[in-house]
Amino acid sequence: MRSLHAELTKLRTLPSIWWLLAATVVLMVALGAAAVDSVTSQACLSPADCHEDTVKLSLTGVWLGQAACLVLGVLSMGAEYSTGMIRTTLTAVPIRRRLLVSKATALSLLTGAAGVVAVLASLWTARLILPLHGSTLRPATGTVLCLILVALLGLSLATLLRDTAAAIICGLGLLYIVPLLADILHSPTWQHRLERWAPMPAALSIQATRNLDHLPIAPWPGLGVLAAYALGLLVAGSVLFGRRDA
Amino acid sequence: MTTTLTPYRSRLHPARAGFARLLRAEWAKFWTVRAWLLVLAVAAAVTVVISQLGASGSIDTGAGELIAGPDGTVVRDAFRFTHRPLTGDGSITVRVTGLKGVRGGLESWAKAGIIVKKDLRPGSPYAAVLGTPDHGVRMQWNFTQDTAGSTADVASAPRWLRLTRKGDLLTGYESADGRTWTKIKEVRLDGLPRTVEVGPFVATPDHQKLHRSFGGTSETSGGGEVTGTFGHLSLRGTSAAARWTSTDVSGPIPAGVREGATGRTAVSASGSYTLTGHGDIAPDETVGDTVQMSFQGVFVGVLFMVALGALFVTSEYKRGLIRTTFTATPGRVRVLAAKTLVIATVTFVVGLIATAVAFPLAQSRLRANGYKPPAFPDYSLLDATALRAVVGSAVLLSLVAVLALAVGALVRSSAGTIATVLVLVILPQILAFALPLPTAHWLLRLTPAAAYAIQQGLTYYPQVEHNCLPESGCYPMAPWNGLLVLVAYAAVALLLAGWRLRRRDV
Repeated sequence: MRSLHAELTKLRTLPSIWWLLAATVVLMVALGAAAVDSVTSQACLSPADCHEDTVKLSLTGVWLGQAACLVLGVLSMGAEYSTGMIRTTLTAVPIRRRLLVSKATALSLLTGAAGVVAVLASLWTARLILPLHGSTLRPATGTVLCLILVALLGLSLATLLRDTAAAIICGLGLLYIVPLLADILHSPTWQHRLERWAPMPAALSIQATRNLDHLPIAPWPGLGVLAAYALGLLVAGSVLFGRRDA
Repeated sequence: MTTTLTPYRSRLHPARAGFARLLRAEWAKFWTVRAWLLVLAVAAAVTVVISQLGASGSIDTGAGELIAGPDGTVVRDAFRFTHRPLTGDGSITVRVTGLKGVRGGLESWAKAGIIVKKDLRPGSPYAAVLGTPDHGVRMQWNFTQDTAGSTADVASAPRWLRLTRKGDLLTGYESADGRTWTKIKEVRLDGLPRTVEVGPFVATPDHQKLHRSFGGTSETSGGGEVTGTFGHLSLRGTSAAARWTSTDVSGPIPAGVREGATGRTAVSASGSYTLTGHGDIAPDETVGDTVQMSFQGVFVGVLFMVALGALFVTSEYKRGLIRTTFTATPGRVRVLAAKTLVIATVTFVVGLIATAVAFPLAQSRLRANGYKPPAFPDYSLLDATALRAVVGSAVLLSLVAVLALAVGALVRSSAGTIATVLVLVILPQILAFALPLPTAHWLLRLTPAAAYAIQQGLTYYPQVEHNCLPESGCYPMAPWNGLLVLVAYAAVALLLAGWRLRRRDV
């Protein structure tokens, strides 16, 4: 419990933390609103004729929010290595696994809080612009979980690589370049594989409320793919973290 | 008694460090970091490999045989044609009295008019004067060429059209009353034989319906049919046939048109002709852009270039080297300039090597997959289009690194810089694939992602209604204009960085 408190204090006093959390909320709401606003009567002649998944569109902001969460996750560990703080931390909390668990918990709490605010604000803003069809419970919960998992992914990458820049590059590659490849590779086989097994396009199937039969991967298993990446890397990170010098 | 101490002054000549020495210092800072050289090598390798992967997956979905126009462009050439042969010089005149869709809707580029065509083979040279519902009267020839006449709408008011042949010269005229004629344009058609086919025709592009969302786009095109009515049809000149014959000139039958749907021609007692048909006479813009398809690896290369550009300055802040740097060279803007020059040159050279290797490899891969001449031109590295795309992609990579450098000097944190710049360059691309089309186009005009337009190889003609789909490699901006957007971003970021560097503590 005390180590969790310590981690929360460290995270809270990270110079850029409030910037990052504010960016998560503001960027998500702004992009979501812009995406919903772009649905015009030209694209949707009548509610029955409209094929746009408005709930998913209103949560488009996750594409920006996840970058802030990734940076937050990476910094929560990377900053310790770059400043040498890690040595003090490990002297205070010698059990490394406990340290990592409390770090992950603190990180999840903060990103989760920001995520809830961001998702609720996005949905509320979107509702002002367009009527949302379908239940928003699964997409909303899923998006918050998605943000938390992305932050954990950042944490585990930073733990594995012990370098902020390297962790950021790997994380951004997974979150942005791989989904883009899924779009631009002209091979249907590769497209299908990437859409099912790469963390990002798969996890966002949690936001879908329409045409569920045509999704490359079902909503919850999709989020499971991202969870597998984030938690799998976290376990790998914790094993290495336990063995390695600081 | 007091003594005055003279402060220490170096006895060395206070020569200003030349810019060349500054460049050398920055270059030394770059190449001595082994990890960065490794990143450069990986960037080049990944660019080449992913470009291969992008090209190898491309399968020509081919809607049957492709038809090439006189200049090799892939074209659609299908229309209802009521024709007579014309030998030598002569002219054809007609009064277009109506144009309407068979099942309601009328496409804005539906056509009714008169045409002089080499023969009935699809893709042969032609010149036509035609009326459209929304784009007025036009003279079009050889598929890619188009000139506007008056803005009269043949669907609402009758219009007289005339086409004259004199040797290789074809002249189009239009008139409201059949007495006073206005010349639209005179064009030269090379390779016309002595006897050509002339007559009235109708054609219409398909009606396109677009469904886009995250995870897929479907474009369904319904084959439209139009009916055009013509009166006062007269042919002046020598013709071997006394009667008008009707033919469906047909290129590939578009999806959605009933197999074997044929045009109809009816003649009324008063001598008015009613033609019904489908198809279009225009460049085909639905074929793949083989140049753009050869550069998919650049999207991945960008990631590494952003990292290099950002780290080149942020790592100095992280290690405190920046204080030494600014002590050695107090002119901070000069330092920024030297850094910019070094990173721009390094990333440009490596980027150019990568794209110059990737392009020919990807091209041969595409050819093996069915993208063959004549429908798809065989690009060599030195063709203007290919060269522009290859060099332009290298410039893009280098500009992205410069943008990252400038943002890095502003933000001073590697994580923030890399994330910001990469999101700016890559995310618009991802969103453009899914958001409604007008928004997608604005994204690709206003963000640095506009620069990918430099990789475009297809020409998009204004006389074709075309959904410029980002997912099929179409960008709303012209190639160089797109690149200029990124130049503007980099320039503004550099100016801000220079301004902040001068004012701020290190």
